[in-house]
Amino acid sequence: MNTTSHTVAVLGAGTMGSGIACVMARAGHRTLLFDVDETNLGRGLDTVRGFFDNGVRKGKIDAAQADSAVANLSGTTDLGDLAPADVVVEAIFEDLDLKKETFGRLDGIVSERTLFHTNTSTLSVTGIASGSRLPGRVVGTHYCNPAPLMKLVEVADGRHTEGWAHDATLEFLDTLGKTSVVTKDRPGFIVNRFLIPWENSCIDALESGVGTKESIDAAVRGALGHPMGPFRLLDIVGMDIHKQVAMRLYEQLREPRFFPPPMVERMVAAGDLGRKTGRGFYEYDDNRLFGS
Amino acid sequence: MSDIDHVAVLGLGPVGVEFVEAATRAGRTVTVVETDGEQLRRGLEALADSMAAAVSAGALTEQARSEALDRVVSSTEPSELGKATLVLEAVAAGGDAKRAALREAAAVVGADVAIITVTSGQSVTELAAAVPDPARVVGLHVPSTGSSSRIVEVVRGLASGDAVVGAAADFVGSVEREPVVVDDRPGFLVDSMLLPYLNDVVQAYDDELASAEDIDVAIRLGLGHPVGPLEMLDRIGLDTHRDTTALVHEATGDARFAPPPLVNRMVAAGRLGDKNGRGFRSTEETA
Repeated sequence: MNTTSHTVAVLGAGTMGSGIACVMARAGHRTLLFDVDETNLGRGLDTVRGFFDNGVRKGKIDAAQADSAVANLSGTTDLGDLAPADVVVEAIFEDLDLKKETFGRLDGIVSERTLFHTNTSTLSVTGIASGSRLPGRVVGTHYCNPAPLMKLVEVADGRHTEGWAHDATLEFLDTLGKTSVVTKDRPGFIVNRFLIPWENSCIDALESGVGTKESIDAAVRGALGHPMGPFRLLDIVGMDIHKQVAMRLYEQLREPRFFPPPMVERMVAAGDLGRKTGRGFYEYDDNRLFGS
Repeated sequence: MSDIDHVAVLGLGPVGVEFVEAATRAGRTVTVVETDGEQLRRGLEALADSMAAAVSAGALTEQARSEALDRVVSSTEPSELGKATLVLEAVAAGGDAKRAALREAAAVVGADVAIITVTSGQSVTELAAAVPDPARVVGLHVPSTGSSSRIVEVVRGLASGDAVVGAAADFVGSVEREPVVVDDRPGFLVDSMLLPYLNDVVQAYDDELASAEDIDVAIRLGLGHPVGPLEMLDRIGLDTHRDTTALVHEATGDARFAPPPLVNRMVAAGRLGDKNGRGFRSTEETA
């Protein structure tokens, strides 16, 4: 990690993986995007290129910067191609066994000093690190969605993370123009740890008649200055995703504040997931949905 | 009750001053009654200072300032409330003093005059029970968030009539704030959600989840909130927060509202936040 330009492997070409690949390519790092599925990989590479094309069209970056960012990017479905990576950023499915197995396989491919970053949002960094023979190199780095636009990265060491890996991670995140906060390997880190109970208590307030969705959203924006009321935000996040994250936190922490209120279950059962289905707390007619 | 040209404000603590200024700047005639002469002097001084600051900031013309101040009449005598078409009780003390002020006001103003009680958390239904006709009483609650809130909660007591609720909402709108009508439940609307969140953050900080600065940075950058929770607590004041959350805890028995042990320790140690430069984030340099 002596030079400022690194070779970074990003695992998983979904929303988070392709967003993180944009961040790496923009920062001037050679970026290898990996996905087991050829179609996913193609879509992820298109997402990254589309991000830079958009940036040029909107005048956020000039064409030369975009070209050099895109030139930093390549894709592969072969884990063996990741051998030159100095940093691996894992952004695959939230499945503990899959993440452990992937780090275990990478042990035999990359150098012993390669940093392993996991972008898990709700799993234990220590648990994921146990898949590597060298858990001292594994650090939790949780990016926010959309990764290219959000400056925050939550950094959490596992039980066996070594000091050099922690320090090198903070230095590396600096090269990306990110703002790091250091937290513990605890479910939800900081942001989700507080967001989930907050959203749950807003849903409870709605269900118990403390206010309407409109009055609660207006009160939260007007009194607290939040950019969006809780129900507008939940409609964007999606009720299925809210339920999933809340349940994962509840399963680990067993505190009622994390448990999704019954209204969440009813909305998921009814298919009222939010913007993506055209109806959540509010209705959206700019979406393809029959009958609403 | 739609004619609210002449507002009487009872009590000239900080909250009273804020409403007097808002009402007179909105063109109302305001009669201020503060039975404590010294408090009245300090309140009028604060009012003059605040309006002078508005002129300096370019938010108010010199002429508008002087006209607005001319519309304010002050007295230490509750009998002066007589001509008001709307009474705003903003006595800053505990429930007993507020109940006494409400009783006095009800006795001197017309039977059809709405009485608004500015609550800092006390149940509006309980306060309203002090007057013979509680249907004429409604509450206002300004959520304490450490910065100015556009939102003012109009609190409907169990006995509040629709007319007074409407009059209070109109008044709030007329002074350029956004009224949200809520029922008289512990914590009303904003605090019922905000207090458990703040208490949860304090406990997690005490449990060494992260530094105070990193918690605030994560919430600001991760969720786009204008202030982090620990900065917010410093601005609100740790003693104020403890009193607010303890009141809701007492009313509900809900453990999420119990003041976290660290808040109690900080108050005991005199670490009250921005007001004395010692809190989670504030240091004496920034005070």
